[in-house]
Amino acid sequence: MSGYRGYVSSRAIDGDRVPQRLQNLAIRDYAQRRKLFFKLSATEWAMEGCYLMLEQVVADLPDLDGVILYSLAQLPEDREKRGRLLDAFLARGAPLHAALENVAMTDASTRAQLEDLFLVRHIMRRTADPGALLR
Amino acid sequence: MINGLEAMNPFFDTEEQALIDRFLTDGYVILPAEDRADLDRIRNHVAQLAAAKLDLPAPNDAGDFLDHIHDRLSVDDLNALRLGVFEDMNAADWFRPTYYRLARRAIGWLVGNELAMQRRVNLSIQMPQDDSSTLPLHADVWAGDSAYEVVLWTPLVDCRRTKSMYILPAGPHAKFQTEFAARAAEGGVNGLFEAAKPHLVWLEIPYGHVLLFNQNLAHGNVVNEESATRWSMNCRFKQVLTPYADKRLGEFFEPITLRPATRLGAAYQLPDAGS
Repeated sequence: MSGYRGYVSSRAIDGDRVPQRLQNLAIRDYAQRRKLFFKLSATEWAMEGCYLMLEQVVADLPDLDGVILYSLAQLPEDREKRGRLLDAFLARGAPLHAALENVAMTDASTRAQLEDLFLVRHIMRRTADPGALLR
Repeated sequence: MINGLEAMNPFFDTEEQALIDRFLTDGYVILPAEDRADLDRIRNHVAQLAAAKLDLPAPNDAGDFLDHIHDRLSVDDLNALRLGVFEDMNAADWFRPTYYRLARRAIGWLVGNELAMQRRVNLSIQMPQDDSSTLPLHADVWAGDSAYEVVLWTPLVDCRRTKSMYILPAGPHAKFQTEFAARAAEGGVNGLFEAAKPHLVWLEIPYGHVLLFNQNLAHGNVVNEESATRWSMNCRFKQVLTPYADKRLGEFFEPITLRPATRLGAAYQLPDAGS
């Protein structure tokens, strides 16, 4: 059984700190509800902007059924970088789940929905700084 | 050479200074458990818990039973067993104080005597050829631990070669750290491992011994290619009043040896002088 690799963060997620134990609980619960075989989580490193562990998980996709993020907000903010990672999942036919949002990216259509979510988040973040809307 | 501590400090006794020097130079020390009876108690308890979860009688030879657990269950069932034993061993009141006593004196020398300890001691089980339980090269400080922690790693069976863990000693680690970004950009985590590989030390730790290591140094394990299963525990200790990172006080650590001066200081208020 290949199973689904969890992915947790050791730095803030969308501005909030979430204990790794809670991230793992959410992933484990999600896997249980969806009857997915959960493999221990990879923990992203604390260095700002670092996605080495996520990139490693993507490199391991041939040996996995898919991946369960704690949250979509763990994906890179940078659209191009995020796009490369998502492309790798689609190319492998490996689902990318997010426990908090209770969604799974399985095809181009769900990927587009996911990108829309990022777009709105991006706008909402900018509205926190009204001046940024004019820049 | 770190903070000049390699020079003799007259406040440390000779044995203490020697251990500190070894720890700073190598990044780890391997020592006999300070109380062998405590270690045996822990091992017997873990073996009994595992046997009970597998509906087996309590084993006569705990070490042999643990070494050969792979004959009794599959890799797919391993994590459920590990989590079950982990929960039950941590639930026993005596367990964590006993674990601490395995290296109490050495922890005092390397960390301090007013400590925070991980609330739950981790348990690792690595069966031969199981590629699902490996922990690639990492440093705990990269994944949410503060830089002020020391790990007490205790094998319940003899550990050597791929059945054990590796560490990048302090000397080569300094160079590794300066090349980190370039190596990571070239080859990701594998690139980091390849850069470290020629300098890695594979730790040989017979049962009866404990390992204390600096978790700021890169370390990890690979697929166990030996014929027996590795069982080991690990737990972080830090001085209670040093900075915390993502592994917070209360949720991950708890104070275990607060001293009177700290309690008195925390409770003290200057008298009202009426001015």
